[in-house]
Amino acid sequence: MLSRIGCTLIVLLMLIATPIFPQHRGNPIRVTPIGLSGLDSLIHQRNGKILFLNIWATWCQPCVEEFPDIVKIHKRFADSLVDVAAISVDYPDEINSKILPFLISHKVHFPVFVSNVKKEDDFMDALNPSWRGAVPVTFIFDKKGTRRVFLFGEQNFGTFSAKVDSVLRMR
Amino acid sequence: MRSLLKLIPLFFIVVSFAFAGEPMKAENFTLPDYNGTKHSLTDYKDAKAVVVMFIATQCPVSNGYNTRMVSLYNDYKEKGVVFLGINSNKQESVEEVKEHAKEHGFEFTVLKDDKNVVADKFGATVTPEIYVISPSLDILYHGRIDDSRRELDVTTHDLRDALDAILAGKSVAVSETRAFGCTIKKVD
Repeated sequence: MLSRIGCTLIVLLMLIATPIFPQHRGNPIRVTPIGLSGLDSLIHQRNGKILFLNIWATWCQPCVEEFPDIVKIHKRFADSLVDVAAISVDYPDEINSKILPFLISHKVHFPVFVSNVKKEDDFMDALNPSWRGAVPVTFIFDKKGTRRVFLFGEQNFGTFSAKVDSVLRMR
Repeated sequence: MRSLLKLIPLFFIVVSFAFAGEPMKAENFTLPDYNGTKHSLTDYKDAKAVVVMFIATQCPVSNGYNTRMVSLYNDYKEKGVVFLGINSNKQESVEEVKEHAKEHGFEFTVLKDDKNVVADKFGATVTPEIYVISPSLDILYHGRIDDSRRELDVTTHDLRDALDAILAGKSVAVSETRAFGCTIKKVD
């Protein structure tokens, strides 16, 4: 009897001690480092879908402010021909300390990467040579991986939605 | 329509200057430092160059350059180069700017650009973002301090190279680079 009570208590203690991140259940958030070749694959291996790609950082206030609208975009276009992804320009060694806590608090369920390209110039050139260097920026690539939209600075759900719709209508 | 037509010659003048490689001109400004003393760009006509640095107190990218900015100041102050930090972020107060400058040992002047008037004049959008200006207000260099936020990964010292060229009386080989950093938080 005592051992049964003991076992129950242990199980209860284990449940209490386990961090509860509901959004992790069945769909754990992962942040994957991405380099130039990975970025090229992300853009060009489209499988018939367009790509909505946001570049952000936890230290960037406008990025943080627009991020809920990126989450809404993912919800609106889930199960459609739109891939939503984000690349953080925090450092790869800040995944656990900064990026993941932010993503968990925003209940993010789309792929998130962190750039491990050492030179900011190389990273910017790979996405758009005319990008001047401030974040956030958002890109939409069509089904062939061609850049169709480049949005500089903080945007909102309405602008994002309209741009995605316009690229979906392109042939 | 007529007024638009009148602008056409002006457009061609601007374009022809741009293609002729003429340096852009900086507009003079007057701003208070964190103690309230006013400084104008034209106060430094005797300097060989003025380095205008748009910086921030809260931006990790800008803060990643604090020690490099101090080193640059120490290395060039005796050579006639003036360094002016400018904080244009609306959420960073004068008191915060003063505290930050003291904390990080900034001996160069740091100005507070209330309502981001000067940032707008220059077209500055991020921190850190650098402009090197001649005594005749030509913009001789614009862009980043160097090519990596992390000092260990730096391979090109763009601002140092520009200053060395200016001090040697040569033209700046790379006069335009991209500044990577935090967006300057401006008034709406």
